[in-house]
Amino acid sequence: MGNNFAMLMDGFQTVFTPTNLMFGLLGTFLGTLVGVLPGIGPALAIGLLLPITLTVNPTSALIMFAAIFYGAMYGGSTTSILLNTPGESGSVITALEGNKMAKAGRAGAALATAAIGSFVAGLIATILLAFGAPVLAEFALTIQPAGYLSLIILAFATVGTLLGTSRIRGLIALAMGLVIGLIGADLQSGALRLTFGNLNAIDGIETVTVIVAIFALGETLYLASRHTIVQASVMQITGKAWMTREDFKRSWKPWLRGTAIGFPLGVIPAGGSEVPTFLSYGVEKALSKNKDEFGKGAIEGVAGPEAANNANAAGVLVPMLALGLPTSATAAVVLVAFQSFNIQPGPMLFQTNPEIVWGLIASLFVGNFLLLVLNLPLIRFWVLLLKIPSHYLYAGITTFALLGAYALNNSTFDLQVALVVGVIGFLFRRFGVPITPLIIGAILGPLSELYFKRALQISQGDWGILVAGTFPKVIYGVLILVIIGPVVWKFKKSFAVKK
Amino acid sequence: MILNKLSKQGKGELAFASSFFLLGVFVAWDTSKMDIPQDNSIVSPQTFPYMVAGFAALVGLGLIIDVLRGNHGTPDGDEPGDPYTPLNFKTMGVVAAAIGMHVILLEIAGYVVAASVCFWGVAYAFGSRRILKDLLISLVFAFVVYFSFSQGLNINLPSGFFEGIFK
Repeated sequence: MGNNFAMLMDGFQTVFTPTNLMFGLLGTFLGTLVGVLPGIGPALAIGLLLPITLTVNPTSALIMFAAIFYGAMYGGSTTSILLNTPGESGSVITALEGNKMAKAGRAGAALATAAIGSFVAGLIATILLAFGAPVLAEFALTIQPAGYLSLIILAFATVGTLLGTSRIRGLIALAMGLVIGLIGADLQSGALRLTFGNLNAIDGIETVTVIVAIFALGETLYLASRHTIVQASVMQITGKAWMTREDFKRSWKPWLRGTAIGFPLGVIPAGGSEVPTFLSYGVEKALSKNKDEFGKGAIEGVAGPEAANNANAAGVLVPMLALGLPTSATAAVVLVAFQSFNIQPGPMLFQTNPEIVWGLIASLFVGNFLLLVLNLPLIRFWVLLLKIPSHYLYAGITTFALLGAYALNNSTFDLQVALVVGVIGFLFRRFGVPITPLIIGAILGPLSELYFKRALQISQGDWGILVAGTFPKVIYGVLILVIIGPVVWKFKKSFAVKK
Repeated sequence: MILNKLSKQGKGELAFASSFFLLGVFVAWDTSKMDIPQDNSIVSPQTFPYMVAGFAALVGLGLIIDVLRGNHGTPDGDEPGDPYTPLNFKTMGVVAAAIGMHVILLEIAGYVVAASVCFWGVAYAFGSRRILKDLLISLVFAFVVYFSFSQGLNINLPSGFFEGIFK
């Protein structure tokens, strides 16, 4: 514990060099920018900036990515409140009450409770991350390949079945991702899979290309097909973006409760930020003394979910750093960023690259603070950005996405892949299939095969090893609960109604 | 008979669902044809792909059943626009063509041309009709991106016509 604290201080020292601070500042700025702009989320923003990993040193680049990570969430809440168009799934709930508050002339208070709540939640969650992740990493060193495999399967199940409105559609996305992950040469034997004789495909499909194309190109194609693009009408902010004493009194408990809900649900892969924000909203509604205000602009309904969203995002970093298992699209891109520096997140990370991982954690603190300072005063500037005509916005997003896909390897093959994946992204949106399981499948699919093979090598081909030992048994137990739990709950509910 | 009951959207969705079942079958077929260099590992490189193929076919089948039972996918709540308006494939086609042109032109004509064409095409598809102004903005955008990436970040982009003019 004391040792970790010293390491964290070293991390702060890493961050507080002029260059790294500048990258942090740039990251908070870019992050808020992409959060505010519709159509670009944090995963896409980091994906687009990945080419800089070719020229910028690892620490600076990761500091910038961490800042984008938090910045995008701050920005996302701004659009939810002022436009009623949530920029990312975690802000959907915020729009419910936040936009009503804005319509009632309380935009300033809504923005303030979102920003300060995000700060408080981000601060607490980052502290938990700083001291929790190394502990988890130490424990993870004892996990056998079969145990890892069970964790990945659990992540598949939760991400696949808990996201979106339909379980089968989540699993469809997962299957597509797993197939994409198969493409290329098998790591151990070198056998070629699904390459169709194309030499470019031997190294597999770049994850970044998939992420960039499925978000940016898929979204643009989908919006073009809808052809109902209306320039958003921005609410006027009257008065200062600040809260009254009464607002504070009503907000601080929801902030803390939101953090308590969001962080653990990020650490255990519970499938994105919808579940925690929705839960937090439900809790606040149930506990509030002003229940009649809900649906008309209750500040608790903004404060809780916003805190839950931020805490959840920090929680997701725990398994990403300590186990190497990303469970959200954004965490997946951060993982790819690590990999492009030939650094593999996982239990060994805290020992092999302490300066980078502690620098990253320290920069989360710094970024969080910078955002609080920058966000509220600059809100009028961010609102101006929303006035960019949407045809130029999407033209820019498309062109940038193609640049990001190309610049990684300077190959037109990646661009062809991007076009195909973009069309898949369009079809997914068209038929209500969630995107994140595809990304998780494409990244964790090859990893699951690796652990699967390692486990069977240890056991000399005996499949029994997959469920041997306490750890895999516990995880598969949880898995069964996750799959059966909701069904039983539904059944009980319908039973109760009949009674 | 069941097919007749489905709406136009339902038929499209059924085709979408069936494609995943076929994808599973296809992956299994590809796996069976796989060249295995030397089989000295305990787990064959075919085992995992067969599992993925089975999974894809299974969930594809699940989705087919789901659609036939009348459960249609609805676009996510955070997607803008009315989910029930019919699609406009013309505008979508223009965007796809703009992206395709970028892919084709990039190594023939260079980044600036490819990016300008793409930017202009997408703006046109999204309803902008100020052709000259858009062309100007496209060019400026492409130039700025080209220079900031090739000069600022040292990332090489195909220069095309400008080969030799800028170093």
